[in-house]
Order: sequence, then structure tokens, then C-alpha cells
Amino acid sequence: MRPRLDALLRTTTFRLALVQAGVVLAFVVVMLIYVYFSTVGQLIRDSDALADQEYATLERAYAEGGMRRLNQEVVERAARQGPFLYVLAESDGSIVTGDFQQLPAAPRETPERVDFSFERVDETGASVRGRASGRVGRLINGPILLVARDLGDSAVIAGRITRVLWTVAIVGLIVSLVSGLLAATQAARRAEALSTTAREVMSGDLSRRAPVRGAGDEFDELAQSMNDMLNRLEQLMHTTRTAGDAIAHDLRSPLTRFRQKLEAALEQPPNSDADREALRKALDEADLLFNMFAAVLKLSRVETASNWTFHRVDVTGILRELLEFYEPVAEEQGLGFLGEVQDSLVLQGDQGLFTQAVSNLVENALKYTPTGGRVEVRAVRRPDSRIEITVLDSGPGVPVADRDRIMERFVRLESARSTAGVGLGLSLVAAVARLHKGGLHLRDGLDNGAGKGLAAALVLPVTTS
Amino acid sequence: MRVLLVEDDLDMAASLKASLTADSHDVDHAGDGETGEQMALNGAYDVIVLDRMLPKKQGVSIVRDLRGKGVSTPVLILSALHDEDHRIEGLNAGANDYLGKPFSTRELLARVRALWHGRDLGPQTRLQVNGLEMDLLARTVKRDGKKLDLQPREFRLLEYLMRNAGETVTRKMLLENVWDYHFDPQTNVIDVHISRLRSKIDRDFGQTLLHTVRGSGYRLGG
Repeated sequence: MRPRLDALLRTTTFRLALVQAGVVLAFVVVMLIYVYFSTVGQLIRDSDALADQEYATLERAYAEGGMRRLNQEVVERAARQGPFLYVLAESDGSIVTGDFQQLPAAPRETPERVDFSFERVDETGASVRGRASGRVGRLINGPILLVARDLGDSAVIAGRITRVLWTVAIVGLIVSLVSGLLAATQAARRAEALSTTAREVMSGDLSRRAPVRGAGDEFDELAQSMNDMLNRLEQLMHTTRTAGDAIAHDLRSPLTRFRQKLEAALEQPPNSDADREALRKALDEADLLFNMFAAVLKLSRVETASNWTFHRVDVTGILRELLEFYEPVAEEQGLGFLGEVQDSLVLQGDQGLFTQAVSNLVENALKYTPTGGRVEVRAVRRPDSRIEITVLDSGPGVPVADRDRIMERFVRLESARSTAGVGLGLSLVAAVARLHKGGLHLRDGLDNGAGKGLAAALVLPVTTS
Repeated sequence: MRVLLVEDDLDMAASLKASLTADSHDVDHAGDGETGEQMALNGAYDVIVLDRMLPKKQGVSIVRDLRGKGVSTPVLILSALHDEDHRIEGLNAGANDYLGKPFSTRELLARVRALWHGRDLGPQTRLQVNGLEMDLLARTVKRDGKKLDLQPREFRLLEYLMRNAGETVTRKMLLENVWDYHFDPQTNVIDVHISRLRSKIDRDFGQTLLHTVRGSGYRLGG
């Protein structure tokens, strides 16, 4: 898409280019002044020194031989084809002899510097214009003497230098404007690419990403941040969508069974035993549905509510009570059950959620570890002062590729389909971890000969502030 | 016993009233908070079952005001809001129990009976159920004069069952009152604790005291 010109002129980059052009112009002007004075100025100063010498020579001739001698000298020198111009005038200003018919500049009592333009007829009869610089003054008893040097060559050189400098200034100005415009176009184009991506995403295509050129510049950085944001959004959308589908799917099965049981009972001739059994089963399905609703609501509240008030949570005490609570279950299932909980572990948090999170991890371990296996619970304060509660088992484990996935809502691995549960346990633990500014990490657990088991580590900061 | 039911959902109220009546209680019903509070102040009820969200006056305010006026009738709050915070708010206002919706009728009936049981007990040092004796001061338990060796948690579990002797207590009630846990375990952990306790108090004795009530929970004696 081609950016429009007026939009281009409004861009920050173009404004910067304008400022840059101004700076270039100012610099060139300063350079010009400097170069002018160090070249043309020097030429004029040299020429003035020579004119001063000439003036002094004639002044001496006047002092030695009076007006007659001076007149003679001036006539002789004016006749020579030299760079000097002469005028000798009476004290009233009437010209005695010289290159001009009238005084180009008025004299003062003391000799002073003059700088004038003139027009005269040269030896070929052509009229020439020129510039001259020299000295004019009154001699003793009043005659006026002017000695000047034609600046002809110097003026030409000065003119050339000035023209070169102006050319440089104008070219510089144009170059900086054009480059500014190009840069602005480039910037506008890349900004436009970002806008286009944003618009495409808004219109529903969440898979669009802004182009990253790999130049590592600020646009790449912006595009990268935008892409990271889009990745996170897409992931959240995906989770929500998956959760929605999963809720629909997971609710459909118990609802269908619920309905079937009632319908089947109604279609049979009345039989109080069979009817009661059907009602009981329907009730179980209803309870399962309610449990799922409750779990989804709780998870949403943990994930979205902002009004949790945290209190002191006695981690050590809670874990030891949970270990005592579940120990009989482990024993009944023929599992080794071991707890290593450090003393006086405390954090700021929600006690109910913390207890439930750890309980979910322990129940998962108990549920999936076959008879003869082991389950261990360890809690330590790490060197970074975070508290790490790890529940390890020697069960079948979870493939590395699935570990992130099973923390999502309703995700249950195929191998877990046969056990009871709705697939929200780990999601809740992960959400509780996030609420406490911590994390849930799944790793290899206890070696069971055939595999590595699973270790779920809940890592929580001592305080969330 | 006499039960006051304050519930604005009339279908729900009719169904609860039928269940409570079937469980041999006399039930009065109020359809809004203000009427409910007046009835609670005037009538002699054994238990009040109070919905949390009521027209005219909220359940939690009613309990607070009743307690402020010296009415100590046990109150059970029913609520669709059963987060930890809401539960604690209800209990702090003076309610004796808090049950989240949806609940099973059996759960409600068991809790109503437990409230009524708890009401008359007051401070006690000894509990006795058939041949089972518990000394709350010495923390000892005997059955037919024979001392039983119980772990602290088993002692508390048995204490709760004895205080509600003859009545059904649900797993949820045990979880809340013995362990102070307010989540639903996905394992049969309560059953395992009960079977351990049963092996200690029943195994060596002829008569079974600790019964499983199918679909509901457990009952000691009766």
C-alpha cells in the first residue's frame, strides 16, 4: 500500500529530515562565511597592503619634489598597464590627472581605506566594470591622492568560491530533504505494515503476524513485541475456545447419560426397584455435572477475580496435615508414601486455594500410580527464597510433549480417560500458582524401572508484593 | 423439631418443606427476609434454614440482627455463593453452618439434624454411645470398658460422630468439621479414614456401631 504524500509529510521521520536539512543549511552558511573571509578576504588584504605601499611611495615623492614631481609620477604610473589605479586631485576635488574623471570616493584628512566599483574604458576601447580597493587621503597643502588596486582576479575567484559554496548548500539541502522523504516513506511503509497486520487481526484473522525484517531496528522490535502479544492472545483465545468446546463436549456425555437413564426408566413398565436404581444413577450424573460446573466456576474466579486478600499461610502445617490426611489412602492402595517438609515454611496467600492445589497434586499422584509404586511430597525453601512443593510419583508419567497441554482446562490424556475426573485439577493448580505469582512445573518423577513417573513442582514466592 | 425455612424460590421452598416434613420436622415457611426475621423473633424454632439472597433483607443481615437481639437458634445459611470468603462472612455473622447450592436433600437434612444435636449439648466432658465411652478431658476412648488406642485425628473423627450419634453425617460434614477442608476430594479418602476407625472401634466387638448409610454418609449407633 502506497502512503499518501500528505500523510508522509506528517510523519515524525519527515519532520526530523526537515530539522536535519535546516541544520545542514546553517552549517553550510557558516562554512561559506569562513571560507569567504579566509580566501577572498585575504586576497583583498594583500592587495590593500600593496596599495598602501604605493601610496607611501607617492607621498614620499610629493614630499621630495612637490606637486610637479607627484603629478609626473602619477602620469607615468597611470600610463603603465599595472594593477594599480590612480587619481590626483586639487584640494577642491578637481581632477589633475589619473584613471578616473572624478573621485570615486570622498577624501578625509587622514588617509583611509576605500572600496568601490568603477567603470572605465580600457586600451581596446571597451568599457570594463570592476571593483577596486585602496587608500585615499589629503596630502600636505591639500591635494588629494587615491591609489587603489583593481580586484579583478580576486573578485572572480571570490565569485567562484561563493558559487561553489552556494551549490554545495543547495545540493546538501536537496539531498537531506530527499533522504528525509525516503526515510519517511520507508518508516511510513513499515508502520503501515504493522497497521495492516493489526487491522487483519481485528477483522478476525488471529494468525496474522507483523513482518520482522531481521534488521534488529526499532521497527523490528515493535513488530516482535506485537507478534509476541498476538501469540499470547491467540493462545488465550485458543484456550478459551478449547475450553468452550471441551465444556460442551464434557457436559454432553453426562447430560446424555442422565437423559437416557430417565428415558429408559420411563419406557419400562413401572417397577419400583428398577425405577429407584435409575433415579439414583441419574442423581449421580447430576452431581457430576454440578461438580464440573463448580470446578469451572472456581477456576474462572481464580483466573479472573482481583479481590483476593492474602493472609499468612502455614505451608509446613498444611502440608503435614495433608500428608496425614492422604496417608491412609496411599496405604490402602499399596503405595509407599513419604513426606519431607521443611520446618516453618510460610507464605502470603489464600489458604483454601493453596490447600486445594496441593491436595489436587497429591490426589493425581495417588490416582495414577499403580499398586507397589511410590508417592513423595517434598517442600523446601529454595536458595532464591521461593518455596517449592514437589509431588513425585512412580506412575506412568506424562510425555514431555504433553506436559504443558495437560495444565490446560479439560485436557485429559487418552490414558487417563478410564479414571474419574473432569480434567480441571491441574488447571486449577496452575491458576492458583499464577494467582500467587508462582508457577507449576512438570518434570520427571521417580524411576519405576520402566519410566520416569511424574513430578509436579509448585513454586511460589513467599510474598506476592 | 420445628424448622423455620426462609426461601423466596417457591418451588425450592415447597420441595425443601416436603423433604423436611418427611424427615418428621414441623416446617414454617417465609418468602422474604423481613417476614422471616419476624417469624424467627416470635416463634420458638429449633433450627432456622435461611437462604442468603432474599427479597427485602439479606440472609447474612438477618442472622446478624437475630444474634444481636439474643436469638441463639441455630442457623443454616443456603447460598449459591459458596466461596471461602462468603462462607466465612456468613459464619462470622453468627450462622452455625453454611451450605452451598446445589446441595443434596440428604446433605441438608443431615445438617439440620446436626445443628439441632449441637444445640443442647453445651460443654461436656464425657460422650457415650451404647458401649462406647469418650473422655474429652483425658482424651481416652473405651468400648465395653476396654481402652482403644486412637490417633488424634481419629479421636476427633469419633468425637464428631459421637456428638451426632444416631444421625447420618455426610462425608462433606466430616471433611468440614473434622479436617476443616472445604473442597471435594476426588479420592475415597474419607471412606478410608472411616474404615480405619471402624477397624479400631468395631472389629473386636460383636455389635457394629459405625454404619455406612448408602448414598449419604455414616451413622454411629442407632
